[in-house]
Amino acid sequence: MSETSKLTYAEIDRTVLDTLRPPSGGYWLLIMALTLGVLLGAACWTYQIFVGIGAGGQNVPVAWGTYLINFVFWVGIAHSGTLISAILHLMRAGWRNPIARAAETMTVFAVSIAGLFPFIHLGRIWVVYYMLPYPNQRNLWPNFQSPLVFDVVAISTYLIVSSLFWYTGLVPDLAAVRDKATGVRKKIFTILSLGWTGKHEQWRHYTRGYLFFAALATPLVVSVHSVVSWDFALGIVPGWHSTIFAPYFVAGAIHSGLAMVLTLMIPLRKLFHYERIVTTNVLENIAKTIIFTGLIVGYAYAVEYFLAWYSHNAVEMEAFRWRAMGDYSLQFWIMVVCNSLVPLLFFFKRIRTSIPWLLGISILINVGMWYERFVIISGSVAHDFIPHAWGLYAPSAIEYGIMFGSFSLFFLLFCLFAKHLPSVSMTEMKETLDHGGGHGD
Amino acid sequence: MEGAMATDISVIGLFPDEQKTAAVIEDMSGYPWQIDRVHSPFPSHKIFDALKLKKSPVGWFTLAGGILGFFTGFALAIYTAIQWNLIVWGKPIVAWFPFVIVGFEFTVLFSVIGNVLGLLIQTRLPDYEGLEQYDPRCSADRFGIVVSCEQEDREKVEEFFANQGGEVRVFE
Repeated sequence: MSETSKLTYAEIDRTVLDTLRPPSGGYWLLIMALTLGVLLGAACWTYQIFVGIGAGGQNVPVAWGTYLINFVFWVGIAHSGTLISAILHLMRAGWRNPIARAAETMTVFAVSIAGLFPFIHLGRIWVVYYMLPYPNQRNLWPNFQSPLVFDVVAISTYLIVSSLFWYTGLVPDLAAVRDKATGVRKKIFTILSLGWTGKHEQWRHYTRGYLFFAALATPLVVSVHSVVSWDFALGIVPGWHSTIFAPYFVAGAIHSGLAMVLTLMIPLRKLFHYERIVTTNVLENIAKTIIFTGLIVGYAYAVEYFLAWYSHNAVEMEAFRWRAMGDYSLQFWIMVVCNSLVPLLFFFKRIRTSIPWLLGISILINVGMWYERFVIISGSVAHDFIPHAWGLYAPSAIEYGIMFGSFSLFFLLFCLFAKHLPSVSMTEMKETLDHGGGHGD
Repeated sequence: MEGAMATDISVIGLFPDEQKTAAVIEDMSGYPWQIDRVHSPFPSHKIFDALKLKKSPVGWFTLAGGILGFFTGFALAIYTAIQWNLIVWGKPIVAWFPFVIVGFEFTVLFSVIGNVLGLLIQTRLPDYEGLEQYDPRCSADRFGIVVSCEQEDREKVEEFFANQGGEVRVFE
């Protein structure tokens, strides 16, 4: 039996509530550094707004650069939160309980940051309302046959649904914090917990509602990254126009998201003394799931090559030859090695139960998944149909600044969350002690 | 069950585990007092079974939201398409296949909004008055059975809970 069996209700509360104690000076230094990173990103974006979209490195033929790469990257990161909170909940996988809250939070922050990038990419941010379906005197409406408008609908839906799902799951824990808090903190948590008392009538409706949340979030998460993939697959560019894109992108999204869960949970576990809650067994199960998603991603890479060869289409064949041997071959091989080969190390129990290996491999997968988006998005348009239209792309300093700002914002939000709200679901952990699963209905 | 009878006081019996709480609820069926509510730190199906609770009707709100969302999504896409006839290669203006995506996303969105509204309506949240007769240990490590009774039955209820090994508290 795992370490979890030795826990008690009181111990769970004590461990989680201890994390909400006033933070140390080191924490505020970290917050300050991350805030500076966010300000740097904001300054770069402001500069771009004043100077124009040309401040970025995107140009003919590569008009889709890091802004879209980061958009897809952050949407992908978001996906494992829903996998863990919704899909694994439906499957009654009790091991997801200690990490579900952090993963859901990661989802909300990652989608919010992803949602910023189309705004940044737009350049003329002040006309963003053109994307909204509102009555206007020119009688112009968004074209709902366009995958870009599908994306607006899908991402907005995902952000609203994941935020509501996250908050709903948080309410019983907010009540538990309220019951231990004093002074202003108690007042804040009383309002946030909506007067939750955990009476049977509340739980009766809550468990049913939570089940529906999970059942609705599951197809939503699949649809969202499928829609993101169609931003590319519905274009006729070689390297994009493929029917495997939807499942390929969904698997890749979950792959990167699981890796990010490990990247976040391992330091959190150490800093917050969560070793008895987020056990090695939990981390090992994430690693096993990463093997599965890594194999799907590796299979998708191979199938792309097979399709290019089998089609005997000269343009497709050249696009894929160039991908592995052309100007961006380094990025391509980083992608293949980090996403498909490195995760295979998790087949060895010694590696998937070793904290340094887990952390190292998870970071490599994050790097690999970022490059996957680079190879697909920028690599494909850089080398499409006609040789005289080929060209290369490199991000500008402004783009690097915005990217740095987005990562800083993500970690800033996560650090603020971890110290001010329960980062492990006490309710679900207590339930795990007795039943080993989620609060199903 | 809740608030079903005019009462003077509420007596709460606090128990340390789920199994025991469910057993006490079942034992109470032979007594004239009515269980007003049972607080627990997590949802317990053993307690639900002991209380013989019916399935929550929240799903109907979810379903109503879903149906509304399905039609809203399609209606929005169709209405906006016919406002400006963007004819490409003679393809139909009202393109059903791409509109399925809009319809689907709206179905999920409105279902979830319906679900949340259903939860708020059924659980009657926010409800800050409920905190007045509530033991904060019930969000931590205690299960609380609250019985509403007349003043003259108070001692009997207290004795019953004490005999079952519970800690007793009275809300006047």
